[in-house]
Amino acid sequence: MAKQEFDVLIVGSGLSGGIAAQVLTQKGISCLMLDAGPEVNLATNRTTKNPWELPYRGLNKPGRLPHVVQANEFNANQWVDEKEVPYTHDPASPYNWVRVRFVGGRSLFWGRQSFRMSDWEFKSADKEGVGENWPVSHADLDPFYSRVEGIFRVSGRKEGKPHFPDGNFLDADYGPDSATVKKITEVAQARGILVSKIRASNGRNGQASSVNLLLPDAVATGKLQIVPNAIVREITVDKKTGLANGANFVDRHSRQELHVKARVVVMAAGSLESTRIMLNSGTPGAGLANSSGLLGRYVMDQFYGVQVVASVPEARGGKAAEGMMGGTALLPRFQNLKKGENRKFSKGYGMLIASGGAALPGFFTEYGEALQQKLDLHSGACMTASIYGERLARYENHVRINKDVKDAWGIPVLHAEVKDSPNEYNMAKDAADTAEDMLKAAGWDILSKTDKFHPPGYSIHEVGSCRMGDDPKKSVLNKWNQSHDVKNLFVVDGGCFVSCGWQNSSLTIMALAMRASEYLAEQMRVGAV
Amino acid sequence: MQAIAATPAVPALVAPALVAEQTLQAQAPPARPAGPLAAGKRDAVGEPVPHFFTASQLAALHRLCELLMPPMGGNPGAVEAGVPEFLDFHVGQSPTDRQQMYKGGLDLLNARATKQFGKAFAALDAKQADSVIRPLLVLVPWQFELPKEPGARFMTAAHDDIRVATRNSREWTQAAIAAGRRPVGAQLYFAPVDPIYRG
Repeated sequence: MAKQEFDVLIVGSGLSGGIAAQVLTQKGISCLMLDAGPEVNLATNRTTKNPWELPYRGLNKPGRLPHVVQANEFNANQWVDEKEVPYTHDPASPYNWVRVRFVGGRSLFWGRQSFRMSDWEFKSADKEGVGENWPVSHADLDPFYSRVEGIFRVSGRKEGKPHFPDGNFLDADYGPDSATVKKITEVAQARGILVSKIRASNGRNGQASSVNLLLPDAVATGKLQIVPNAIVREITVDKKTGLANGANFVDRHSRQELHVKARVVVMAAGSLESTRIMLNSGTPGAGLANSSGLLGRYVMDQFYGVQVVASVPEARGGKAAEGMMGGTALLPRFQNLKKGENRKFSKGYGMLIASGGAALPGFFTEYGEALQQKLDLHSGACMTASIYGERLARYENHVRINKDVKDAWGIPVLHAEVKDSPNEYNMAKDAADTAEDMLKAAGWDILSKTDKFHPPGYSIHEVGSCRMGDDPKKSVLNKWNQSHDVKNLFVVDGGCFVSCGWQNSSLTIMALAMRASEYLAEQMRVGAV
Repeated sequence: MQAIAATPAVPALVAPALVAEQTLQAQAPPARPAGPLAAGKRDAVGEPVPHFFTASQLAALHRLCELLMPPMGGNPGAVEAGVPEFLDFHVGQSPTDRQQMYKGGLDLLNARATKQFGKAFAALDAKQADSVIRPLLVLVPWQFELPKEPGARFMTAAHDDIRVATRNSREWTQAAIAAGRRPVGAQLYFAPVDPIYRG
């Protein structure tokens, strides 16, 4: 029995797949969306519990989710089971791949920080003389950023600075700054550093996910079918034309193998998962759409973890005056914005300074009553500086297929080989020193300082394994997120990134996905795809 | 927890064979209000049975718990919160490296106590114990990697585990409620979704 052929198969239902489905279906294009995970209802699937009501008193089942630092016993069931869908790495170079497999993907749980990238990221070769330019600029993405900001109801404070581009923001009332935020703002401004505020997606009804903001519109057109628990094994190819013609997938529960036909395939499974599927497709050993040999290369994400904590003397012992503590200051990247700054690193980091935190036990070599007195003394009196550091795009940092290891459905897994370089270490050291310097200059006492950071992957902003560019020899995708090799294959997740920036990636992923989907719809309308 | 479903309403068209049963139902006592049947809590009824650590290791852990997290500010200490027995269970379930870190660390406390004072760590007074504990305490500005030196490694991990397990205990919550404070630690628990059953 011949089944329906869909116009477009979308693999993945997170932010990028949701955008693709919304744009394409509203243009009358029939879409099938496959997601590897089940549908979840956050309202009924979550209940408040005390830690002692959990099997392991909130300390988590030992050894579960070794790569997910974010996991605890309350949220452990959110994440992909690493035994069910493993990946491998050299034990000496850990990689933390943090995954979710539900309809809606990681958009169900994301932190919602919503920053635009600027031309200091898109055009770093021009602006800073390092790295490679993207084939798109901020001006190209500006209208798409604005539309995505409208859908996600992003709030932010406008600054009028091109390295921290303003957007289509809701009027946000941040209230008056606390005295400590004012103080650190003065210190930073005296050094010529812009001080702004977090920009975040408000969403609707407490959720800012693909499931409530994108997919309902697409389903309402009658043009979208979403099939959960459909794990894509490979993209299938027409041998005569070399074009993609659908996908083989396996049912998560029954393990039945199925094939679906489509005129166009849009990959939106998350950077590394889309790359994995493409490497498992096409020519054995080479993968699909990989004439450049760069599929899986240039994996990157921001490095997090560098942290400096200071204590405000006047706020200790619960004596903070009203309005002294609380709130945050965001310092968008302030390094290498001009050529020739002559630093020990390229690119840069953003910094978040939060007022009103607590000290940790590890800041003191005390225990028992003596420790508790110190913790009580500094409780609520701490200023915490943490950073978002940009990792450079490096060819050596890559994922490849490990044929020797297969997941629970017999699909070969990824091997990650991603390492840090002196640029990251030097940037981290500079960030810790700079934060210490500013917190001291504000008159506060440093309690703790570290320039260490988490292994690659930890920020959950992994991008770049399927980079875009104008030269088919140096990139996998063109500037429309379209494969150079396979014209009816698009990759709309973060795989296309040429650099990762210091900014959280979701907003840029969505703007690019929207732009690519509109291009695809137009190409289909004129019959070019 | 799913409530027990109420008796279904009698259909409008009753088959003759069901009439007798319907009569019986009419004579049955009225339904009780729906509610969970199994509301009892494991920690409230059962005493844990330690089985992982040796007696001397468990005694050292007990003493360490007393010293690192004593009762403070109306809150229970680690011993009152059953932390030694909990850690016996939790470490016993852990990967080998964590098991060895704990066993080695507790043995180290006993070895140093014996060397310095000629008795087990559990028998040391507070001042004596301090001279064993303090050299193992190190600053931990980066909390995501334990110190490499085995003694400091054990002490850093155990200190953190003991503090967290105490604050997460049922006893801690009860003390907070009794004192009119807000209990800490309650969070949204994400239940498994559509799991795959194997076997």
